[in-house]
Amino acid sequence: MSLTETAQQIRRRDLRIPLGAILLVIALTAPFIGSRYVTHSLIIALIFMLPAHGLNLLVGYTGLLSLAQAAFFGIGAYTAGLLAVTYGTPFYVNVVAAGLAAGAIALPLGIPALRLRSTSFVMCTLGFVIIGQAIAKNWISVTRGDMGLSSIPKPHFALGPLSFTVSGTMGFYYLALAIGALATLAVWAIVRSPAGRNMIAIRENETLAESVGIPTWRYKLIVFMISAVFAGVGGSIYAHYLTVVSPLTFQMYYSTTMLIIVLGGGAGTISGVVFGSLLFVGLTEALRITPELRMIAYGLCLLALVFWFRQGFAPLINRFWNAIGGAK
Amino acid sequence: MTGLPILEIKNLRKSYGAVKAVNDVSIHINRGEIAGMIGPNGSGKSTFFDCSTGLAKPDTGTVKLDGQDITGWSLNRIAREGRMLRSFQKTVVFKSLDVEENLIIAGQMFTFPSLWSTFGLGRMSRQRVSGLRERARELIKMAGLWDVRHQPAGNLSGGQQKLIQFASMLMPDPKLILLDEPMAGINPKIIERVVETILYANKSLGVSFLVIEHNIDVVTSICQRVIVLDQGQKLVEGLPQDIIQDQRVREAYLGG
Amino acid sequence: MFSTILEQIVNGIVTGSVYAIVAVGMTMIFGVLRAINFAHGEYYMLGTFGAWFSIDYLGLSYEASIVVGVLSTIVIAYVVGKLVMQRMVGAPAESGVLATLGIALVLQNTVILVFGGGYKFFADGYIEPVSILGFSLAQQRILILVVCLLVFVGLELMVTYSRMGKSMRAVSQNVDCCEVVGIDVPQVVLRTFILGAALAALSGVLTAPVNVSVYGGMGELITFKTLPIIIMGGLGNVRGTFFAAMILGVAESLVATYVGLQFRDTVGFATLILMLMWRPHGLFSTQARF
Ligand SMILES: Nc1ncnc2c1ncn2[C@@H]1O[C@H](COP(=O)(O)OP(=O)(O)O)[C@@H](O)[C@H]1O
Ligand SMILES: [Mg+2]
Repeated sequence: MSLTETAQQIRRRDLRIPLGAILLVIALTAPFIGSRYVTHSLIIALIFMLPAHGLNLLVGYTGLLSLAQAAFFGIGAYTAGLLAVTYGTPFYVNVVAAGLAAGAIALPLGIPALRLRSTSFVMCTLGFVIIGQAIAKNWISVTRGDMGLSSIPKPHFALGPLSFTVSGTMGFYYLALAIGALATLAVWAIVRSPAGRNMIAIRENETLAESVGIPTWRYKLIVFMISAVFAGVGGSIYAHYLTVVSPLTFQMYYSTTMLIIVLGGGAGTISGVVFGSLLFVGLTEALRITPELRMIAYGLCLLALVFWFRQGFAPLINRFWNAIGGAK
Repeated sequence: MTGLPILEIKNLRKSYGAVKAVNDVSIHINRGEIAGMIGPNGSGKSTFFDCSTGLAKPDTGTVKLDGQDITGWSLNRIAREGRMLRSFQKTVVFKSLDVEENLIIAGQMFTFPSLWSTFGLGRMSRQRVSGLRERARELIKMAGLWDVRHQPAGNLSGGQQKLIQFASMLMPDPKLILLDEPMAGINPKIIERVVETILYANKSLGVSFLVIEHNIDVVTSICQRVIVLDQGQKLVEGLPQDIIQDQRVREAYLGG
Repeated sequence: MFSTILEQIVNGIVTGSVYAIVAVGMTMIFGVLRAINFAHGEYYMLGTFGAWFSIDYLGLSYEASIVVGVLSTIVIAYVVGKLVMQRMVGAPAESGVLATLGIALVLQNTVILVFGGGYKFFADGYIEPVSILGFSLAQQRILILVVCLLVFVGLELMVTYSRMGKSMRAVSQNVDCCEVVGIDVPQVVLRTFILGAALAALSGVLTAPVNVSVYGGMGELITFKTLPIIIMGGLGNVRGTFFAAMILGVAESLVATYVGLQFRDTVGFATLILMLMWRPHGLFSTQARF
């Protein structure tokens, strides 16, 4: 579906630019428009957008349903937290290290897991989350068990004599926005590359993809690792934002949240993931909905997505774009 | 070199549980030849294809392509490195993608030198893709799919999907194409088109073929040699006109 | 030393029985639907809550609370079955995963919303210890063992002799043929699902006096325990599930004693992952369904 977008985009270009500009201005001035709490909600949405982007590459483009995203999110959070607390490494080092660690761990986990089909694969990825939590809880000498890691420093940048710390909500918002934008761009680049086309081919029909020479197994492994990198980076930012990490970072609930973002926004579309994070995480956070009500809403959303709105909000977003673009 | 068969399969066996789907079959395909394979339903033709192309692992036997032993290679490697391509009995296309994208995908792995290079978005990568797009358009024209080239392949008729599948296999420069019942269930107009394309690919592009086909008229008109399978074993092989006269072949079809 | 091991094994068998009663429903549902019910543990939780509610709020006896717990779960399962499970017939495996994850979220959090997230105390049941063969074992645990055996014997009989059992077997062997033969597949799915949910509820009500604490998240934990069991047992295989449940129960009990209590809850998934890598189709054959 994303590939057929190209033609439509040309037709609607006229109105896309002004609307895009308005959205950009809103994104850039949001902390000044909304309250501090709204800004906080947006930060959370931006952080969850990262693992969701990764999951979208897996579920939406390659057709692999995975629940492991929370495990890599947790690995990223712990990597960043441990580095920061133990060695006092700067923020950007931690983010990169968290991404690399998650990606590296995804390799030995992915090799056996990807040999499994549909339900068994889902189950195996769920196992990673559960075992991840057990390790975080019980490897006390490193993770400090249930206490978790605390007083992880706020991001600090030093460039020669210049140095500053991102401590306020507003500052963090811009940091998260920049990273979110970079991640979105990265996903866009992956999806638009010939490899993205091969990923879609694997989703559509794995055997046919094999028969035209696509090494499906290696692609799936690489995408699994890339999705873990996204989750790891997200986790590291989460750790630096909350300044604490606990074994509860490894939660099925997080995997479910990421799934809802992707499926609800529209699997296999980039705009869907951006929209989905704002709606399912940002809005529910901003409205201060209790966790129970939120999970009930997520549950009902999942049912609705499976049985009635298979494509999530993607068709609605498309129709909206077309309508304002004057096409049709 | 030219004396060597392009494909040589020896003593291929494959069982599914107690069913000996393919039981000790040896065949060869000569360079530039169009060979046919016939046999009653369930005689093991598709299984033979699966084992030759890496979709299934044969229990025993060797597959040699162009002198190279490719036994045990995966389907994608045989396609990519061996340039031996195959179609499936049950027609498959990338349903939600349009015809042009279907063909581009079919050519990508033959144009990009490595898996990593497919992640590139630079000038080189764009040039490669636009080259593929041009070739795809040529083949689309030849297959008579020009008017529907931007439609999702899943929306097209069964015959049109077969043409897509066929055109996809011509995207790289294949050495050998194995077709599993390419004419089944499509109307005579498209049958003609498929026959034309096979002959064109054979004459002008030098592609060798092995075609499973039930339509005996097609087999006799395009194949230089016919191999008959029955109950997992090779019954006979020979010239098409001899085969249709053969008593054993008639019995196999009637008694099978 | 020897007697502690033996005691742990007996405890493990009791735990295994609890798992077995839950898991058998899940595996039968897989049989007819080809989908894993990620919400299955929630019916265990619902049954327990039903019983706890009828004891604490309605002042009923434990015996009556068993009935209330199971019956209320059956009502809920009927609604879920009609609205959701029947729609899953013929749907891809991924839809089943997502839909049942959705149900799990809704059921679990509705209960937490209504009754609060804290731990509740289940203060009834047959907790008197009796001693057999030199062991001291609570009556309740003996009851669990007996019920488990009865359930499995009953299921074997049902599957072999009753009409419903035969149609369940038919659906799990070949859905397409059933429609030709005139078996009402959605009806079989609904009944299997309700039976499975009722068994899970029964298991919950029977375990409550032993576990004592009752809370909203208890179902999820049970789901995570039974998932490895049904895979190890060979999806859809009733006998395999029984043995896998016993193995897990005993393994957990031994790990808790000799390795550390905190590792108990990971035994299942750790074994599952190892096993998926070693034998992707389960320890027991998937062919020998029911
Ligand atoms: N994947 C499989 N599993 C089990 N049996 C199979 C499988 N594929 C083919 N068979 C069996 O192998 C035999 C040959 O089938 P096939 O190769 O499809 O024959 P043909 O293509 O000549 O009609 C049949 O008896 C079929 O039932
Ligand atoms: Mg066939």
